[in-house]
Amino acid sequence: MTDLKVDVKNLVKNFGDNHVLKGINFEVANNEVVVLIGPSGSGKSTLLRCLNRLEDPTSGKIVIDGKDISDSKTNIDQARENIGMVFQHFNLFNNLTVEQNIALAPTELGKASKEEAADQAKKLLETVGLVDKYDAMPRSLSGGQKQRVAIARALAMKPDIMLFDEPTSALDPEMVGDVLAVMKKLAKEGMTMVVVTHEMGFAKEVADRVVFMADGKVVEEGKPTDVFEHPQNDRTKAFLEKVINV
Amino acid sequence: MKKRFAFFCLTVIAAVAFFFSGQAPVHAEKTYTIGTDVTFPPFVYANSNNKYVGIDMELIRSIAKEEGFKIKIKPLGFNAAVQSVSSGQTDGVIAGMTITDERKQTFDFSNPYYESGIVMAVSPKSGIKGLQDLKGKKVAVKTGTQGATYANSIKKKYGFKVVTFDDSDNVYNDVKTGNSAACFDDSAVLNYGVKTGLGLKVVTKPTDIGQYGFAVKKGQNQELLKMFNKGLAKLKKNGKYNQIIKKYTGAAATSSTKKSNNKKDAESNTFIGLIKQNRQAIGSGILETLKLTVLSIIFATIFGVLIGLLGVIPNKFAQGVSTVIIYIFRGLPLLVLALFIYNGIPSLTGSKIPAFVAGIITLTLNEGAYTAAFVKGGIEAVDSGQMEAARSLGLPFRKAMSKIVLPQGIKIMVPSFINQFIITLKDTSILSIIGILELTQTGKIIIARNLQGFKVWTIVAVIYLLLITILTLLSKWVERRIND
Repeated sequence: MTDLKVDVKNLVKNFGDNHVLKGINFEVANNEVVVLIGPSGSGKSTLLRCLNRLEDPTSGKIVIDGKDISDSKTNIDQARENIGMVFQHFNLFNNLTVEQNIALAPTELGKASKEEAADQAKKLLETVGLVDKYDAMPRSLSGGQKQRVAIARALAMKPDIMLFDEPTSALDPEMVGDVLAVMKKLAKEGMTMVVVTHEMGFAKEVADRVVFMADGKVVEEGKPTDVFEHPQNDRTKAFLEKVINV
Repeated sequence: MKKRFAFFCLTVIAAVAFFFSGQAPVHAEKTYTIGTDVTFPPFVYANSNNKYVGIDMELIRSIAKEEGFKIKIKPLGFNAAVQSVSSGQTDGVIAGMTITDERKQTFDFSNPYYESGIVMAVSPKSGIKGLQDLKGKKVAVKTGTQGATYANSIKKKYGFKVVTFDDSDNVYNDVKTGNSAACFDDSAVLNYGVKTGLGLKVVTKPTDIGQYGFAVKKGQNQELLKMFNKGLAKLKKNGKYNQIIKKYTGAAATSSTKKSNNKKDAESNTFIGLIKQNRQAIGSGILETLKLTVLSIIFATIFGVLIGLLGVIPNKFAQGVSTVIIYIFRGLPLLVLALFIYNGIPSLTGSKIPAFVAGIITLTLNEGAYTAAFVKGGIEAVDSGQMEAARSLGLPFRKAMSKIVLPQGIKIMVPSFINQFIITLKDTSILSIIGILELTQTGKIIIARNLQGFKVWTIVAVIYLLLITILTLLSKWVERRIND
């Protein structure tokens, strides 16, 4: 059990009368790559956003790396340093250069000197294949480039866990491959990852486990081959038929 | 979050406290502030050096000298002068004020120092000969004067409408332009005006004879009242009183004033002549306007940014405070706010607020509320994803706000800031209502003296446009620097 990176118990999240998460139990082991799939509105993104408390849970317990982040006494800023997040719409800081985007958090939070952070930014840009964009402003980048910078930015804090919230949904099809390639590389290096995506190919190839959600509940989970090839639940079957036939 | 909010609260409270502590009343050795009218010749008016002269002014100065106290003259306009005594902002008022039973309820009057009645004046071109010709016409009077009371008491009987103005020159001008058929004012004033070339003629005999008195707030400044009475008696005895009256109403005085008025007319018929003649007054008016503008912009920006930020921190109470402050001070007309702070608060707390400070507070609250609204709006206009991304990296709210959201929000706000600075400059003109000698009030006073309304207001308008042009260019330059 010490190897559990994410341990969610009976998580409920309501937006007013809208019950988005109806008692979720969810675990992620160290080095595990978990892909969350399910129809839109099923609560995947909300679950992900609860994991670093961008959404405050209504009730339930969320333990990340042994820290109870659903406890209001927990220093959430400190906990977040260890949880990287990549957003659907990239959310690069528009007022900063690519290098500053990556170096800001490590320097501001005293993790690195300016020089160290700049050095690290360069290395990270090399790993995502964008070292020539070091001094560029975000607005001059394509969507795929933006998303790779965003991944580099999250990695700069050297997190143990990475959360991906539909990282390729806002991209032109020809850009998707580059971003997925970076994510695969990360997975291979042993990063613990929770990924919300509609890329079933990625899920099959990279995921250790696939979790299918519907209506604010976890309906089915298992190894990708099991879930994709022998779905047990009718809702899973219906969903997969639609997605794979497209 | 609570700590941060407490910090914000403390900052705001400290700022407000600082403001109000700044004008704790300073009691120097017996200097009395005396409110008076802007223009009520021959009792009160500004001469060409913008120094206040006239019977009332010479009397109060001579009495002060005689009795050994110091005075500070505040030309506020009749109505404002009367109000500021009753609210305790000034110690006494001398402005050709008739002693009436009604006024005695709020004021203690000195022994009378002059006797006058109400007469009616019309334009020489009009065919109006008496009260019976006024049916269906308009009559101009000055707010709060005996002339106004008289006009209102007979308006039903003679079937005319009453139009009120704050300054005598506006009253006279309205009659001269033919908007109003006639005006009612004190005989001494109108007779003096007619003699010195006002361009009106008096058509009735004085009625409602009344006596002028110096007044203090009922039950207060009694020693000042005593000194006034004592001094007045002395002046009457030693002949100084008669000297003063003669100086301003005697044939020699009025004819020389008429001559100089005519000469002045010829000389200052041109814009350049007017500017030359009044350059000192205009210069100090511009300076006062600039001082008010710069200080108000600084304080309103600080106040507005604080209140605006209070509105975006994730705390319901803080947001509520911000919303309420914006709602109140954006909702109040500037004029009402200025009068409330200058006249209202002192009568509540009993401590005076200098007009300049009251003016700055007024503009800070009003312009600050507008600033707060667009600061809040500018921050909210930044995509919420920016804040989320910053927070997801572990940056605390304050750092995320200052490093990511604010720099982007400020770019959105810059045009609004420039707009607000220009509005602030223009709004300083409203502070003329509490007697601050800024550009507009200076214009009013110059016109009160030379009656060159069109030309003086043109000059004032052009000066405002010039100032606004300079401010705009300056702001655009700053904007370019920010955007680079």
